[in-house]
Amino acid sequence: MSTADMMTVDGRGLEHPEPLERVLAALEQLQPGQCLRFLIHRQPFPLYDILNRHQYRYETRAVDGGFEILIAKP
Amino acid sequence: MITTGLSLEQAPPFDVPLRFFLTAPWFLVLAALLLLWQGPAVFASRWLPVTLALTHLLTVGFMAQVMVGALLQMLPVVVGVVVPRPRLTAALIHVPLTLGALVLPLAFLSGRPGWFHPAMGLLGFGFGVALTAILIALWRAPVANSTVVALRCALGALLVTLGLGLALGVYWCCGLGLPVIVLTHVHTAWGLLGWTVLLVVGVAYQVVPMLQMTPPYPGWFMRGFAPLMAALLLAWSVLALVGAEGMMKWVGAALAVGIASFAGVTGYLLTRRRRRIGDPTLGYWWIGMTSLLAGALLWWATLLIPALAQQPHIELLLGVLSIFGFAVAVINGMLYKIVPFLAWFHLQAQLLGRAKTPHMKQLLPEKPIRQQWWSCLATLLLLLAAVFHPAVLIYPAALSLGVTGMWLGVNLLGVWRYYRRVLDAGMATESLARS
Repeated sequence: MSTADMMTVDGRGLEHPEPLERVLAALEQLQPGQCLRFLIHRQPFPLYDILNRHQYRYETRAVDGGFEILIAKP
Repeated sequence: MITTGLSLEQAPPFDVPLRFFLTAPWFLVLAALLLLWQGPAVFASRWLPVTLALTHLLTVGFMAQVMVGALLQMLPVVVGVVVPRPRLTAALIHVPLTLGALVLPLAFLSGRPGWFHPAMGLLGFGFGVALTAILIALWRAPVANSTVVALRCALGALLVTLGLGLALGVYWCCGLGLPVIVLTHVHTAWGLLGWTVLLVVGVAYQVVPMLQMTPPYPGWFMRGFAPLMAALLLAWSVLALVGAEGMMKWVGAALAVGIASFAGVTGYLLTRRRRRIGDPTLGYWWIGMTSLLAGALLWWATLLIPALAQQPHIELLLGVLSIFGFAVAVINGMLYKIVPFLAWFHLQAQLLGRAKTPHMKQLLPEKPIRQQWWSCLATLLLLLAAVFHPAVLIYPAALSLGVTGMWLGVNLLGVWRYYRRVLDAGMATESLARS
């Protein structure tokens, strides 16, 4: 995937619930075929809940003591 | 997909925890009314029926109500397990718990043994359902992290507290021959030091670093603290029941040092938070941890200095510090984090991409949180002073308690009403767009 198709939101170290606010704002901008990369210092369970409810596709990997979540539109 | 073994099930509906959170503050108001009605007599001794009525309005009506509601909410998010049939389970806990928290003080106040039957039935059923649902969920938890371990210890302590409470209820209603003084001490210790402190400990491991932006608790502390405290509490109780007072004193001193260390570690972490300007709920943690530390040190001192234990005010001071100063203040602060976040989260979950949702700070601005904090602090100081001068200060303390409880209740109701308004408007916009 080229970098043009990838949006990144870095929520590491931000105060709760700013990471979630930022990633949800970015989700609204996400185009079909684009991928949202979300970096976060803890497992974002509330986000998974919202992604599941709205049928987004996503994948989580543990990276550098935190997590990387790749999200695509349904 | 890697999910580190945690479930991604949906969080329970908003009304599941909310019904507990919106009910609880009004028990503070009821406690204030009781204080106003009975006046200085309430602080004459901890053993008076009216004092026991006041205690249970605070511990069952306010504290346990919020703690159970918060557990039903937290389990899926923190532990990764879901309580089955969440709406039905919540109703089966909330209704009897609320009625029981009203009937038990009436039983103490009326002095009629017959009132203890419905009180025991309601509280036994409500807590029984809560314990069954939450313990099953906790034992099925896919990960046994420090929070899960602390929650298991706290729930075990609630089971002991409930069992002893029911036994004492049998004493009050049927005059069953029981060592009632010792059982009351053990019941109180498991309720406050086991259920309340260990639940706050388990929750603090998660929320203090996350919400107050502090470093995490030390790993060794998180792993060892709750099991060690539960073991000490068990040893203390056995020694109390067999009447080994000498040994009991030393185990009690170790418990007091343990509690003080939790307050100390949390206070230290709070001074090392990454944000210079504190979160509006930070002040509630400060009141809570200072009270817990003061209460633990006072208890420790009474164990080592027998003359101090003879002072008439000590037990009431310990009660005010541990129940209002620690538990009510910390829970009050936590409610201001949980309720607006859940309202915001459920709006996002339902309206994402369909309608604009407010920020969390719009749902509950910082100003009323900081303002109510002053009334919480004033109530603690007035209650402490009223222990020494009840004739003069019990009435201002009661008024302050009523104000702080009502203020909390109104602030939380405001979040719920804002949530309903935004949700209704969002849904209406969506149906218009569809048609």
